[in-house]
Amino acid sequence: MAKYSPTVEMGLDRIREMARGNLDLAWMEANPAGWGHRIEHRPGELRLVDIETGHYAQIPEHGSAHGSMAPRGSYVPEGTRSLGMYTLNEMSEVWAENAASLYDEAVVRQWNSVTDIPWDKLQKLPDDIEKAVCQMCTGLTEVEFVAGDMPAKWLCRINHDFHEVKLFLATQIMDEARHLDVFRKRALANGGGLLMASPGQEELLAAILEAPDYATASALMHIFGEGFVLTLFRQGEFLAPTEVEKKIFRLCMQDEARHVAYGVKHLKYFLERHPEREPQIHAMLDVGEQAIFSLTLEPQTWGPRAILAGGGLANIEQGMARMAFIYGKQVKEYLNRLRIAGLDREPRLTIPKDIPYEDLAA
Amino acid sequence: MASALQFASPEWFEALAARMRADAEQYRRLGAIDCTMVVKIDRPERSDLYEIVFESFGVKSIRRLGRLEDAAPGHFVLEAPLEVWREMIENIRAHGAADLQHTLNYLTFPDDPMRVTGPNQLETDAFYRYNESLQRFFDGAATVPTRF
Repeated sequence: MAKYSPTVEMGLDRIREMARGNLDLAWMEANPAGWGHRIEHRPGELRLVDIETGHYAQIPEHGSAHGSMAPRGSYVPEGTRSLGMYTLNEMSEVWAENAASLYDEAVVRQWNSVTDIPWDKLQKLPDDIEKAVCQMCTGLTEVEFVAGDMPAKWLCRINHDFHEVKLFLATQIMDEARHLDVFRKRALANGGGLLMASPGQEELLAAILEAPDYATASALMHIFGEGFVLTLFRQGEFLAPTEVEKKIFRLCMQDEARHVAYGVKHLKYFLERHPEREPQIHAMLDVGEQAIFSLTLEPQTWGPRAILAGGGLANIEQGMARMAFIYGKQVKEYLNRLRIAGLDREPRLTIPKDIPYEDLAA
Repeated sequence: MASALQFASPEWFEALAARMRADAEQYRRLGAIDCTMVVKIDRPERSDLYEIVFESFGVKSIRRLGRLEDAAPGHFVLEAPLEVWREMIENIRAHGAADLQHTLNYLTFPDDPMRVTGPNQLETDAFYRYNESLQRFFDGAATVPTRF
């Protein structure tokens, strides 16, 4: 009777063979097409885009059927078991031509909320201003990690041959973790705290997380949601009462713009190959537009921004008038980005292009 | 004391590029920057255009353009009247860096007094993607004696 399991016994047999000099070195010659790879790169840096050339740049339209994590470009022995978890196997479902370069950009432009924000420069602010900043941070803490949860939901389903996309999405998850973290820190760091959550935001978050497939989820989140938030970050920098918030919003803005860039190029790649899917994308954007219009007008969303824009609660109406143009800017940039992706949304837009605040207030 | 450099001129932007090289460690911390920025200075009689190409952690090239169409295809444009550029630069020189009301984002966000545009939205978005590095680049003007 064997002392060990068949697996261990097999391993011991191999060791015996090796000890007798019967070495299996077939692996050394396993991948002649991938051997002798030459690269070019800038001095002092080696980017993903530098190595993914020649043999290693051959990305299959349909991800490998072996379904394992074997690296693209390697020799995969027959019988390698499938992990059985990849459902996104078509390149067009996830690919963007800028995925690798955005990954390179993301890893080299990481920052941290522990030491990169000049927290020592926080200063006591008037109560209404501190509350406005804290409410804005409450909303952003609530909304930001959907852009972590959404890629996390799909990441393990993406075929390993599309590792550029997987790597980029991994950086996005880290970016969003940092955003949640930094806004929560700001809310709690200056004598204030978290204020009111947003039921309106939850409608949008649900639409993103419940989207039936990756392409529609990405269009809704990367282009629509993150595009709108990108403008909010720009606005946050504009309204920032101290250097601390300025820095937070500038750094977050950079991250968000990378995510938007992936989303635009992905939707373009997808629609060029699946024009028949355009109605589904439009339908998902219909849902998103309704949700964002509703949440934009929630008191806990517009109120703090109007207070900051007016310079205080006493001037909240002036602040509203000053901020009315933000919405128009968000919609314009959203339509512009969709146009680059090949989607003419303007005739289908379900929300106003502008909010005529002066007319409505009259 | 170093003689003042004319804004705008290739020499003035080269002085910013030199400060970027001298501040290499900080720029490495901010991360690589790969984009083309066109600075447009509007005067009553004409507009001046300068193309600054950023690559990795520094400036690859600076050139004066005859017209915007000569700019590299992937670029964004920062444009403002000369007096706005002057106020921004003088503010940076006075404070060592832009104060809250003179950052690039602050000046461009309402599209007034400065605007950021591009051949398409993604090119314009590069201004947002590299904003912290671009701000630091212009903050380099703090130590560049400038005449207008």
